[in-house]
Amino acid sequence: MNKQITAASLAFAFGTAIAVAAMPVAAEEKTMEKEKCFGIAMKGKNDCKAGAGTSCAGTSKMDYQGNSWSFVPKGTCEKTASPTSPSGKGQLAEFKEKKA
Amino acid sequence: MSPQARFAASLLTPGSRCPPGLMTWNGSDPGRRFDVYRNNVMVSLIDALADSCPVAEALVGTRFFRAMAGIFVCANLPVSPVMAHYGKGFDAFIRTFEPAAGVPYLADVARLELLRVQAFHAADAVPLKSADLAHVLANADALPGARIALHPSVAVMPSPFAIASLWLAHQSDDVSAALGGVDAMRAEAVLISRVGLDVTMFSIDAATSVFVTSLAADMALASAAGRAQATDPAFDIPAALALLLRGEAMIAINFPESMLND
Repeated sequence: MNKQITAASLAFAFGTAIAVAAMPVAAEEKTMEKEKCFGIAMKGKNDCKAGAGTSCAGTSKMDYQGNSWSFVPKGTCEKTASPTSPSGKGQLAEFKEKKA
Repeated sequence: MSPQARFAASLLTPGSRCPPGLMTWNGSDPGRRFDVYRNNVMVSLIDALADSCPVAEALVGTRFFRAMAGIFVCANLPVSPVMAHYGKGFDAFIRTFEPAAGVPYLADVARLELLRVQAFHAADAVPLKSADLAHVLANADALPGARIALHPSVAVMPSPFAIASLWLAHQSDDVSAALGGVDAMRAEAVLISRVGLDVTMFSIDAATSVFVTSLAADMALASAAGRAQATDPAFDIPAALALLLRGEAMIAINFPESMLND
């Protein structure tokens, strides 16, 4: 089936779209009455991470030691279902895909 | 090498000696002070990536994520002081990052999260409402050649993985339970748009993804619909347009000038 795309069919599509979009959620118009609020950005999303007196923030973390890749990712991956994985879950090393 | 370039290179090479010529006011070891500075640079940039991509971090664990992010940071210093824009290319980096190969959907989840941050910070524009579309119906003859201008916050992300479901599961109180029902290997496509001030994601089918991507590429309405229909003959144009309307994703419908009746 290959429907012809014509001016008439597009006008119909818009008409239907207007009708469909007009139906929902009574509160929607109200949500438009918002204002931009500055100064509430997530941390790290403002222009400068460190304010006065915080120049040494983070120094105790010693994160930048990650040159060893002997460890594998540990997280929620192994809880995630995967039909191509032999165990049925995501795996932390490469695996041969089986047919899903 | 200029002193600036030498300074920057030392910053990005852990364990390297501090650049020559550095002095401290009280005669303490400049090498130690430089190490503190170097660590601050790395930690703050890694923090920025972790803030932008919390689900990607949860998928592989904090330790793995931060070590991976650290390698990205070394090769990709910020080009702007605005951390919201930092991380461009992080998903591409993850895709080629060997140790993450066992988590094939990690790159796409990170990309989805970066797109959400971009949508949040995208420029304002007044979206079209149903009432604004009267002139569209008055100019029906010109519709096939019309072009739809999308809101600056709009992005489409198709993926071979269940990125929307994975993301959503991580918003749940019980992430493990929510993930149990997710088939990560199922293809999903997402439309991202800022509705009001909230970044909103809509799960869309492959044809709608092609449709909106084509509109974003400034393709005429009939051509975009045609491409979507070629993807899936069952493509539902009214539903796609209703979604764009409801998602506040359209800001203008521009007709070819010669065809206007007004």
